[in-house]
Amino acid sequence: MFLARIDGTVVPAAKHNTLEGCRFLVAQRLEADGSRGAEPLVIIDWVGAANGATVLVSTDGDIARERYGNTTPARMVVAGIVDAVQVPRAGNGRSA
Amino acid sequence: MRLGIVRGHVTLSPAVPELMGKTLVVLEPVTMTNLVAKNGLGGGKSLVAVDALGAAKGQMVAFTEGREAANPFWPNSIPVDAYCTLIVDSITTGNAKFEEAEVSK
Repeated sequence: MFLARIDGTVVPAAKHNTLEGCRFLVAQRLEADGSRGAEPLVIIDWVGAANGATVLVSTDGDIARERYGNTTPARMVVAGIVDAVQVPRAGNGRSA
Repeated sequence: MRLGIVRGHVTLSPAVPELMGKTLVVLEPVTMTNLVAKNGLGGGKSLVAVDALGAAKGQMVAFTEGREAANPFWPNSIPVDAYCTLIVDSITTGNAKFEEAEVSK
């Protein structure tokens, strides 16, 4: 699982037949140092993540398989919308 | 899934029986910089994926990687770890809208 920022939406011209009616979002992976992943990711969303939202992405295809059947190639899904993230910066909090 | 541009097709002769009759495409993954710039470039490291949707050269697709890429062939086992899941018509990002036609330069 990792955090990602929603950047937009994808309109498919054709898609795998198990994914009819799916919502596809474009997202960029967020790193702990504040940088973003270089390559955009296409993620299936049934939680209702808005543009600009930070989401938790699961790369386990089992949850998608339960929903779309054994033959679905779906893998990355939005597992939740992030409310808050606490990442202590160097010098803050208790250091070893 | 990552995004990739179809750069060509691969034919095998001979091949393992599981791959007989499957269409293989060469994909160039697209970086965020190139997607927003709409310059028709990819920028990532090329890979080969199975395509059952009929993606043409120059089209942008989203491809699944990993074990799930073999799911469409369930319950058969097949040595596949990348699969074209959708062909892109358009992508809208925060500051740009990408149309399929613009990549085919």
